[in-house]
Amino acid sequence: MGALFEVLTDNFDELASGLWVTLRLVGASFAIALVVGTLVAALRIAPSKWLQRLGGVYVETFRNVPLLVLLFISFAGLRRAGVPITNWTAGIASLGLYTAAYVAEVLRSGVFAVSKGQIEAALSLGFSYPATLRRIVLPQAFRTVIAPLASITIAMIKNSAIVGVSLLALPDLLKEARIVQSRTFETDEAFFWAAVGYLLITASATLAFRLLERRFAIRR
Amino acid sequence: MGYLFDPDNWEWLITGNNARFILEGFVVNLQLALIAMVFALAVGLALALARISRSPALRFAAGTWIDVWRNLPLIFIILYLALALPESWRDAYEDNAPELLPDVLQTGRVFAALLALVLYNSAVLAEIMRAGIQSLDRGQGEAAAALGLSYRQRMRHVILPQGLRRMVPATVSQLITLNKDTTLVSIIAIQEVMRHGRIVTGFNFFGGVQAPVLQVFIFIGLLFVATNLALSRLSRRLEIRERERSGTTVEPISGLEDQVVTVEAR
Repeated sequence: MGALFEVLTDNFDELASGLWVTLRLVGASFAIALVVGTLVAALRIAPSKWLQRLGGVYVETFRNVPLLVLLFISFAGLRRAGVPITNWTAGIASLGLYTAAYVAEVLRSGVFAVSKGQIEAALSLGFSYPATLRRIVLPQAFRTVIAPLASITIAMIKNSAIVGVSLLALPDLLKEARIVQSRTFETDEAFFWAAVGYLLITASATLAFRLLERRFAIRR
Repeated sequence: MGYLFDPDNWEWLITGNNARFILEGFVVNLQLALIAMVFALAVGLALALARISRSPALRFAAGTWIDVWRNLPLIFIILYLALALPESWRDAYEDNAPELLPDVLQTGRVFAALLALVLYNSAVLAEIMRAGIQSLDRGQGEAAAALGLSYRQRMRHVILPQGLRRMVPATVSQLITLNKDTTLVSIIAIQEVMRHGRIVTGFNFFGGVQAPVLQVFIFIGLLFVATNLALSRLSRRLEIRERERSGTTVEPISGLEDQVVTVEAR
């Protein structure tokens, strides 16, 4: 037991900075995922076959490609092609665009969960198509997508661990734990504290979404 | 764009053995995914049954086990096991790995990778199965009990056949995730498609043409897109057939490997 806490106190700065890097990575990617995901979902429900198809291609591509392949393409691939992309940009963009595909699918199914009668009623009351989406469909859809968005966010936090140990070498939590491990050879202890870090982040995210869900729940 | 489609940058694909070498790596990924999936399904079912068993102690133990493995990043588990598994376990795997596996999959490191894939995916699948089983109408189990079926008989003949059928779409989506996740084992130096891709781009390996990184990994990405699209097509076809047969619908919210949302037909 002594060794366990010793590893934490001896390497606190490294582990804490790793946690901070992971948090920033996750925060920035989440923002990108929400923005791009919303745009792609809008494409998928747009009143045009071609726009729908375009959104579909985005979702099918980014959902079926391994994140590690995206990281290789966006970092090593673009750099070899002469684009001076940094490991931060590549990491955030890959994780964000990858997660955006999942966000888009959830938003789309949330929109479809709103009953057709609601939309027909709004249109017959003289709402325009965008106004119907904004005032009638989205507020109701938002409620149903909170829970699935929570799962996607948790998955994204877990996926963020891939960025650090891949060739991008961002000094995130897992990477720092790996560094501590290779210096001290205290494998169990270093990984234990990294696990605690990840569980802390995912638990806080779960809690935040649960509060959000309660805030927007329909009171009966 | 000019760079991306420049024929010179795709020349590697038809030069020497590059394409074949990458495909061979990809086959290793598929084999890993297949082996891990078979074990993960079996272990997952056992965990799911423990999770809903009548013994509170067993329920608690299975629930904790599932939550721990499900909530850790897979790459974390892979890396940890690669570093922490005792040497003797790896040696035991090397000595006992079936002959029919390719040589790459007979090295000791593969044991850590497979164990990690199974630990993580069995926990995720157990949750999917539990959700599928618990989404069944309570009356099903109660009716079976009223007919005098024992717990074992109820599970085998009434609950599992219906509950497990509901989890097919969610399971396929997890299979796709598993297929993508096999690339992570490249981090512990198992020679699969990512490693082969790096070798091809690294130096003049085959045919004197150095392959550009961007194009090689786009090619690898397309391999995954094609395989996974085929998988999801297949599952959609199964789902439609199932819906026509039983009159119920199962709608997994896409992207949710670890959650099943079931919608009862009216």
